[in-house]
Amino acid sequence: MTSPKSDLPQGTLDMLVLQVVALAPIHGYAIAQRIQQISKEVLQIPQGSLYPALHRLENKGLLAASWDESETGRDAKFYRLTRKGRVQLKQETDNWARLSGAVRLILRTTEGEA
Amino acid sequence: MGGRPDREHDLDKELRDHLDRLTADYVKGGLDEREARRRAMLEFGGIEQIKEGSRDVRPLHWLDVLAGDVRYALRACCRCPGFALSAIVTLALGIGGSTAVFTLVSATRTAMLPFADPDRLVQLSGTVMRAQLERRFASYPDFLDWRAQATSFTDMAAFDQQRLTLTGFAEPERIVVEFVSAPYFSLLGVAPMQGRTFQQDEDVVSNPSAVIVISDGLWRRRFGADPRIVGRTIALTGGPFKTYVVVGVMPPGFRGLTDGAELWVPFLQWAPAGIMTDRNQRWFAVLARLKPGVSVGGAQAEMTAIGARLEQAYPASNVKRGVEVTTIDRELLGRVRPVLFTLLGAVVLVLLIACANVANLLIARSQARRRELAVRRALGASAGRLLAQLMAETCVLSAAGALAGVALARLAVGLVVGYGPVPFPSYFAPDIDRRVAAFAVAVTLASGVLVSLLPWLQTRVATLLPSLKESARGATDRGKGLRHAVIVAEVSLAVVLLVGAGLLIKSVRNTIAMNPGFDYTGVLTLAVSVPRVEGASRPAVEGRVLLERVRAVPGVVAAGLGSDIPLDGNAVGVFYAVEGEPSTIDPQRRPRAYQHRVSPDFFKALRIPIVRGRAFTQADQVPASTSVIVSEALAARFGPGQDPIGRRLKFGALNSTNPWLSIVGVVGDVSYRRLPRNPDGDPDLYTPFLDRNSQVALAIRTAVPPASVASAVREAVRATDSSIAIYGLAPMTEMVAQQTSRIRFVTWSMGVFAAVALLLALVGLYGVLAYLVAQRTREIGVRLALGARSAAVVALVVRQSAAVVVVGLAIGLAGAAALTRAIEGMLFGLTRLDPGTFAGVGLIFVAAAIAASYVPARRATRIDPIVALRED
Repeated sequence: MTSPKSDLPQGTLDMLVLQVVALAPIHGYAIAQRIQQISKEVLQIPQGSLYPALHRLENKGLLAASWDESETGRDAKFYRLTRKGRVQLKQETDNWARLSGAVRLILRTTEGEA
Repeated sequence: MGGRPDREHDLDKELRDHLDRLTADYVKGGLDEREARRRAMLEFGGIEQIKEGSRDVRPLHWLDVLAGDVRYALRACCRCPGFALSAIVTLALGIGGSTAVFTLVSATRTAMLPFADPDRLVQLSGTVMRAQLERRFASYPDFLDWRAQATSFTDMAAFDQQRLTLTGFAEPERIVVEFVSAPYFSLLGVAPMQGRTFQQDEDVVSNPSAVIVISDGLWRRRFGADPRIVGRTIALTGGPFKTYVVVGVMPPGFRGLTDGAELWVPFLQWAPAGIMTDRNQRWFAVLARLKPGVSVGGAQAEMTAIGARLEQAYPASNVKRGVEVTTIDRELLGRVRPVLFTLLGAVVLVLLIACANVANLLIARSQARRRELAVRRALGASAGRLLAQLMAETCVLSAAGALAGVALARLAVGLVVGYGPVPFPSYFAPDIDRRVAAFAVAVTLASGVLVSLLPWLQTRVATLLPSLKESARGATDRGKGLRHAVIVAEVSLAVVLLVGAGLLIKSVRNTIAMNPGFDYTGVLTLAVSVPRVEGASRPAVEGRVLLERVRAVPGVVAAGLGSDIPLDGNAVGVFYAVEGEPSTIDPQRRPRAYQHRVSPDFFKALRIPIVRGRAFTQADQVPASTSVIVSEALAARFGPGQDPIGRRLKFGALNSTNPWLSIVGVVGDVSYRRLPRNPDGDPDLYTPFLDRNSQVALAIRTAVPPASVASAVREAVRATDSSIAIYGLAPMTEMVAQQTSRIRFVTWSMGVFAAVALLLALVGLYGVLAYLVAQRTREIGVRLALGARSAAVVALVVRQSAAVVVVGLAIGLAGAAALTRAIEGMLFGLTRLDPGTFAGVGLIFVAAAIAASYVPARRATRIDPIVALRED
């Protein structure tokens, strides 16, 4: 069964990327795969925006990158979370939790009234 | 930035890795290699866009883009060196010309004056209402009243200037001396380099101290930079004392308000006491500094009120007299500034034409590059990126043009200052400084934007898809309208400049052709100062002796001597009264004339015609003489048919004790004080020259070129007495040239600008026509193949040319009719709408248009139909 795919809300791609990278050093292709898998295929990463996002985060110093041997034996560019990235991730997830909680609350309340 | 190739490689490798993994996953899913790659590529999307997206987030990425654009632009320029070169030369002319003129303008701004806060300095001058308001300087009692009553100024100083002879050295020297009140130096904000300036008690009439301040130049030249100069004495002739004590030396570069002064003396020390209490003796100007917060208008209002009070209190001397307050920069730079602003306006027109020309070149080229641009657009370049690229290209061109232009400007400014006919002040130091550099950069950027905007507009208008499909053959004429509009603008701007230059050239011709009332060709002029012998009633050298010596010089035909000669600026105005006419003190009706004391041969030497009666004779040259000669304009007051000979007049008022003088002759009117016309209508009168003057001017008519006898004349004068100082020894044509220097400078510059403008407009026109023929080669070939005659083909080209020129001409002539107002004040002997000039410019452009269309038209008739039809 394929569930309907959702577009990523604006600005959440960075957070998802940071979260995935936080688990372990990982390369671009795997990040895309991982997000897709974890979200049970709901979230489709637009390929056109993954790499600009990775490079933006790298430029901001939230991610660090280095070339390493991958699981298939070939070299790949692995991204790691920096300390600055960890702080940023914490902020963004907290933020997101607050926001989504609030939204859920509103939706539930209005449903109840209807 | 530094790791650019690395980062590019990195990015490339990373994206390839991603694609490979995606492909590998599809292969694992059961697809064959090729299909897997295809699917992967589809899914991944445009690699180049992803790359571009990843690059965009890099810091300072825009610099990379810019560098790329510039590199691309340089490559594009190198591909078409002819195009690039003509664009650069054109822009260099426009940018260089405007930078050069701006350099001059910038050097004449108020802040460049070598005084402290020059914008707060003003000059106060007396005025009198006659036929028009005329400036008449101040009398000393008036000055004292102004100073006592005015509250608008921090201080006031009287100042006057004169040439005096410095003696006590091997060779006497004429130097400019300023007579100044004590506050003069502090008003200008200049402190002495050594010693002191004048003190308040030296501003009092009875003060007998003979003190002077000298310039740095004089100190070095005449005193060998003597460190103990303060306290030394100097000998000067013409003043009340024999020797003067130096109390101070001014800093280098300070030359006073006259910009030539080398010596300063206290104002009151020199004047005879009587003159200082006479309200009718007006001869000096007043320097003042506005108090903070007081405007020129406010000061003027106050001085007008003071003038009115003085008029009431002293009607006999001050009726219809007022005060004029003018800023010092207007006094010192007011004559040169309007000239430069006019030229700046003109050169901006040249710059616009240059931009239009380059824009047209670019439009023609972008027409040829339409496919390239369309391809780039289709590959994902946004309209903004295309504009940026076009701009980079034009900016590369205009930057190259600017570099060449600034070099050109340097050269031009040097030429103008070194060899130009306009005498610029000594502190005038035009330099390509930061202001000028900023101007040049602004002009360059502006022209770059202007030049690239037009082609860009055109690419925007043109839909891109069709141009991908169509071949060059079917190229539409979308750019035509735009290019024609640009050419029309160019032609009309060039017409404006040509009309301006034409009017000025004609005006200079009129000025030169004008008969000034005397013949200045073949005349050598000089001035001498004759030292007085202490205690003697007569000067050491008599004028008569001097003239005899000069007349003996081979080549000299006649020699005249006078208190002043035409155009030397030393004419003195006097009031006079005519026997039988009612007396009046109203300056509007009171007769005034300029008095010249002259020797018998004066009129002969200058070829001033004797209209009636006779010239002076040797018998007239005695103090008891009552002979006077008047100009025709003065004789006219006796009415037509009335014989002026024998009529009597006297200087001053009717009831004065001055003797009656009888008119013995009438001479022609002379432009004595300014060319082409005297600044006011007051006539001239001549009295016999007596050996009273210590300063005299000579006019020597020669049978050979005047310059060739100059040294012989100098020797002859020096032989009479070695203490005579000689100055201003030059052919009289030089005086005339100086009189016309400003208008000749403007005319010459305008002429150059107009010529450049005409040339650029023609090149532009030629370019458009040549392009038209090239574009329609096929069509013309078909026509010729179908039997069209050459005449019809020529007509095709000429029609285009005529349409553009006629419209441009009409707009240009209308514009010129409005814009020539700017030079109206410089015109002489013609109106600013002179029909001859306008018609002439029209003819020039028609002829030029024919010339510009000749080659393209000829080329059109030579088109070989077969070749044209085969051509893609």
